[in-house]
Amino acid sequence: MAAVDVQKVRKIYRRDAQEIVVLDGIDLQVPDGEFVALMGPSGSGKTTLLNLIAGIDRPTSGTVLVGGTNVGQLSEGALAKWRSRNVGFIFQFYNLIPVLTAAENVELPLLLTKLSKSQRRERALTALKIVGLADRAKHYPRQLSGGQEQRVAIARAIVTDPAVLVADEPTGDLDARSAEDILNLLDTLNREFKKTIVMVTHDPRASSRAHVERHLEKGVLTNSTERREVTA
Amino acid sequence: MKYFPYVLKHLRRNWIRTLSTIAGMALCIFLICTLQTVLDAIRQTTENANPSRLITRHAVSLVFNMPMAYKPRIQALPGVKAVATSNWFGGIYRDMKDFFPSFAVEAEDYFKIYPEYNIPPDHFRDYLQDMRGALVGRDVAEKYGFKIGDTFQMESMIPPYRVGRPFEFVVRGIYQGNTAGTNLGMMFFHFKYLYESIQGRRGVGNYAGAGTFNIEVTNPNQAAAVAKAIDANFENSDVQTKTESEGAFIAGFLAMTGNLVALLNGIGLAVAFTILLVTANTMSMAVRERRTEIAVLKTLGFSSTLVMSLVLTEAVALGVLGGGLGVLMAEGLVANLAKLPFMGLVLGQFPGLAVSPFVATLTFTIAVTLGITAGLIPALGAYRARITDMLRQA
Repeated sequence: MAAVDVQKVRKIYRRDAQEIVVLDGIDLQVPDGEFVALMGPSGSGKTTLLNLIAGIDRPTSGTVLVGGTNVGQLSEGALAKWRSRNVGFIFQFYNLIPVLTAAENVELPLLLTKLSKSQRRERALTALKIVGLADRAKHYPRQLSGGQEQRVAIARAIVTDPAVLVADEPTGDLDARSAEDILNLLDTLNREFKKTIVMVTHDPRASSRAHVERHLEKGVLTNSTERREVTA
Repeated sequence: MKYFPYVLKHLRRNWIRTLSTIAGMALCIFLICTLQTVLDAIRQTTENANPSRLITRHAVSLVFNMPMAYKPRIQALPGVKAVATSNWFGGIYRDMKDFFPSFAVEAEDYFKIYPEYNIPPDHFRDYLQDMRGALVGRDVAEKYGFKIGDTFQMESMIPPYRVGRPFEFVVRGIYQGNTAGTNLGMMFFHFKYLYESIQGRRGVGNYAGAGTFNIEVTNPNQAAAVAKAIDANFENSDVQTKTESEGAFIAGFLAMTGNLVALLNGIGLAVAFTILLVTANTMSMAVRERRTEIAVLKTLGFSSTLVMSLVLTEAVALGVLGGGLGVLMAEGLVANLAKLPFMGLVLGQFPGLAVSPFVATLTFTIAVTLGITAGLIPALGAYRARITDMLRQA
């Protein structure tokens, strides 16, 4: 079973009387443990497709199966619960909560679990260790560099141990060196922790780290480039 | 509960805005709490009025006195059990800030009509035997350290009673209360002393009339009929009278400042509405500038209901903090109201003036309700907002 199975998905936005077709009959299968990069020009529908996979948006038609669950058919409440357990989201601009420390930011998704405070704190520190920022646990986002903030955001995405990570241009706001660190980290998460990763990017260097590159053009998947074997 | 630290951290985020909103809310609740306490005291005072007591005063105003000759005519009317003369002296002891109410009364009759004043028999006997004798309430005695035999001076603020020198008094008795709510912050002295002190003074007002006639009726059910009969008795006189129940008299006395209840409630309502708008604005700004964070929370799996609850909790926290602070401030002020210059003169006359548990609970509930109401629309906005829309607008 594929970790992500997108079947005949269309997404249409309505602006007044006008219909904008953003995704037009997309089919995409991502096997367990694969690292896929979605590429394409601005407005091609990459982020929309990523949002559908992450369960933060719903398709107009078609089916989005993630880990066997048809996310489009879940109620709002059930979808929120599903997201908290099955998907980790990494944003381009990190989107850490500025009033919380790194550890508290990472701990945030665990508030939705039944874990005790000490268990939550322990897990958050473990996640920060994985991304190499255990010593910055008590630092606030404003006290961290962009690369460090993104690593905290990655720790937040993996702290609930989801099977799938979705990343929306995770290196888009970073300098080359920090971007390299983040890509290495994603690579580690994929290889060592067997996370399935779907990453939207414009950056050829970033996409080169993925096993598979899929290209979108005007809402349609055009071609696929397989770079190396899946390590799962 | 595990989300509460998260809410508090957000409140600390823009602490100037949070503190100013809490201060505004506290001020609002302080004002409402204080006003409601005063209204409560007025209500209790009128409710505690004795139904078998009537007060007769000059029909035009309390400012004018009535002829002393009216007393036997009232006494002679059917249904009247006892009549006593009482005059507001308005004496100032040392300074305006040391003001306490003082009355010139005909003691033998007056204290029969007002049995709630508990005067030890030997004190009362000594008082009756001394023209300059004064009976002071326990609170007055404690506040100024008066002991039996002490002498003190007072000068009236009422022009006809200003005789060119202060009145001298000797403390002959200290009274307590037989019932809860008895005013122990007053002083009584002989009407005769007042009468004789100003008798023969040259100029206008060279005799002391009766400020009020305090009347006890034989049957409280016929009090209204007796009151009507008293006024009818003086209908064709130069000085007409107005007789009313003790409760109505107190209410009327307070109403001299206008419709006090409506005025105080109106002020409270206006302040509450203003603070509602201020808090709603604060919450709207707080939510608007956190659109991305709300989107992130929802992305992480926080349900719309939970996000809405967090926003509402934040608004309620503002209400709780502001309300709690406001009630404490009101308690502080009310406890010291009687010490305030001028205002204390009026408010100090309400015995045991304090923020009651009812008023404290009521005003605290108003604060929490204001918080909930102010947070409702922003919270609903957070509930309805779609993740993708909020991330796009960020």
